Amino acid sequence: MLSLYLILAAFVGLLQAKSSTGDSILVILDNKLNRSDYSLFFDGLEGQGYSLTFRAPGDTTPAIKEHDTPNFDHVIVFAPHTKSFSPDVTPQSLVSSLGKGTNLLLALSQKQNLVNSLASEFSLILPPPQTPLVSHFPAREEPATVIPITPQPNVIVDPDLPPIWFSGIPVAPGNNPLLFPILRAPAESFASDATVDSGADSVLEAADRGGEGLWAGSSSSLITGFQTRNGARATWVGGVELFSDDFAKKHTLGGKKSGNAQLSKDVAAWTFQENLVLRIDSVSHHKLGGSETPEVYTTNDQIVYIAHISKYDPATSSWVPYSGISDLQLEFTMLDPHVRTSLSPVPDTPGEYSVTFRAPDRHGVFKFVIDYRRKGWSTLQSSTTVPVVPPRHDGYPRFLSAAWPYYTGAISTSIGFLLFSLLWLAGGEDKAKTKKE
Amino acid sequence: MAPQKTATKPQTSAPASPVESLWKAYSDNTSKRLKFIDSFLVFLMLSGIVQFLYCILVTNFPFNAFLAGFSSCVGQFVLTASLRSQVNPENKETFKEVSPERAFADFVVGSIVLHFFVFNFLG
Repeated sequence: MLSLYLILAAFVGLLQAKSSTGDSILVILDNKLNRSDYSLFFDGLEGQGYSLTFRAPGDTTPAIKEHDTPNFDHVIVFAPHTKSFSPDVTPQSLVSSLGKGTNLLLALSQKQNLVNSLASEFSLILPPPQTPLVSHFPAREEPATVIPITPQPNVIVDPDLPPIWFSGIPVAPGNNPLLFPILRAPAESFASDATVDSGADSVLEAADRGGEGLWAGSSSSLITGFQTRNGARATWVGGVELFSDDFAKKHTLGGKKSGNAQLSKDVAAWTFQENLVLRIDSVSHHKLGGSETPEVYTTNDQIVYIAHISKYDPATSSWVPYSGISDLQLEFTMLDPHVRTSLSPVPDTPGEYSVTFRAPDRHGVFKFVIDYRRKGWSTLQSSTTVPVVPPRHDGYPRFLSAAWPYYTGAISTSIGFLLFSLLWLAGGEDKAKTKKE
Repeated sequence: MAPQKTATKPQTSAPASPVESLWKAYSDNTSKRLKFIDSFLVFLMLSGIVQFLYCILVTNFPFNAFLAGFSSCVGQFVLTASLRSQVNPENKETFKEVSPERAFADFVVGSIVLHFFVFNFLG
């Protein structure tokens, strides 16, 4: 009976794979796009347990945020053909929602619109309008703007993912460290006027003149993730067609089913903070041999630092201890890191990371700092301040081995004095005798 | 009072060198008590030299320990030398009021005070 419940619970959990931040999504869908053309993607999200609210770009309700509080946990903007949005959808409102933890999934447009101008605020360098990505390889029946791409695997893209179809614009990622290219363009592709290849010259000129990005080859990005300092995620996709049923059902050149459905699910899962979400549950520190956290440390103490880290598991909607980080580092800093050491997982305790190190021979106010930033993963940050003091006046070692000659000298003088006195007194009788003699 | 030993100068064998004659004169003309004191003085001097060399050549790091060890040797040497001059019968005229027993008592009290300070300063 119990196992039946467990299976049932696991099944329900599988159905209700949800985000770590919430399950309400606002979809701002273009008037020219039909929901039914993206049914695989949207139905898939609803099947996972998300509640989707659709809204046209011109509608005023439901608002993205009210009274400075976001109404939705996630926002999808698929409006590549829309020129004018309702007043509450502005770059400022999207950015402030992002600052309050709302995740954004945004489709870029071939024309200049709100999402494109927002993208340039996030160090994404967009090509001139009406210059989509073009590739003439491999030879195929589809137009040059509909490109089969074999994705390079990374933390989000599965290595077994079949080739996908893409149609849209590339972006050149700027040097913002928070940017994370999820899908890169094929090496032989470039941004160009769709009708004639000679349009590529104008793109090259624009790149030269502006000194900006070059939208050609694998340096340009098609799906770009951005993770803010508070952990919210925003993803720009070069073309909304990536999520369409057409591309999901379309067969690749090899005759197999394309990977679009899987990739769009993975991208949404990353954007809505289902995957690669970590948190620090607790940190503690104490002296080696003790278990209580002292108020101060003395220089050269052996310090034990322990951190507990959990990862969000979307299958069960819960946080589970996670020991899979192999490159975590701990710094013991006073302005500069005086100690930087690897914080490695404890083998038998899941989620526990521990290190023992010697406090520097330097007193002052120190901090234990964990600052873990990896592309795609949520940032782990922790800082604990502790004072390190010099030993008390009686805390130093008292008798040193280097001083043994001096100790021997002083003790032998005392023993010599005692012996001398004893012999002197003993010899007094001899003296008396000799005197009598 | 220790009786002054009559110097029996052996004329039979001529001394080979000045050092030897000095040594011979010393061993012949000095009483056992003074020789006893002298041997203690030599011991203290050697101990002080050893500590001083260690301080120069190896380390003076616990400097208080060096000061304590070295000054115990020097202080004990001074006290013992004073005792020697006070109990030496040749200095009888200088120390009329000081009997050898009184000199020894002074020596003991001074040494105990010295060692008290030395061991306080050592660690």
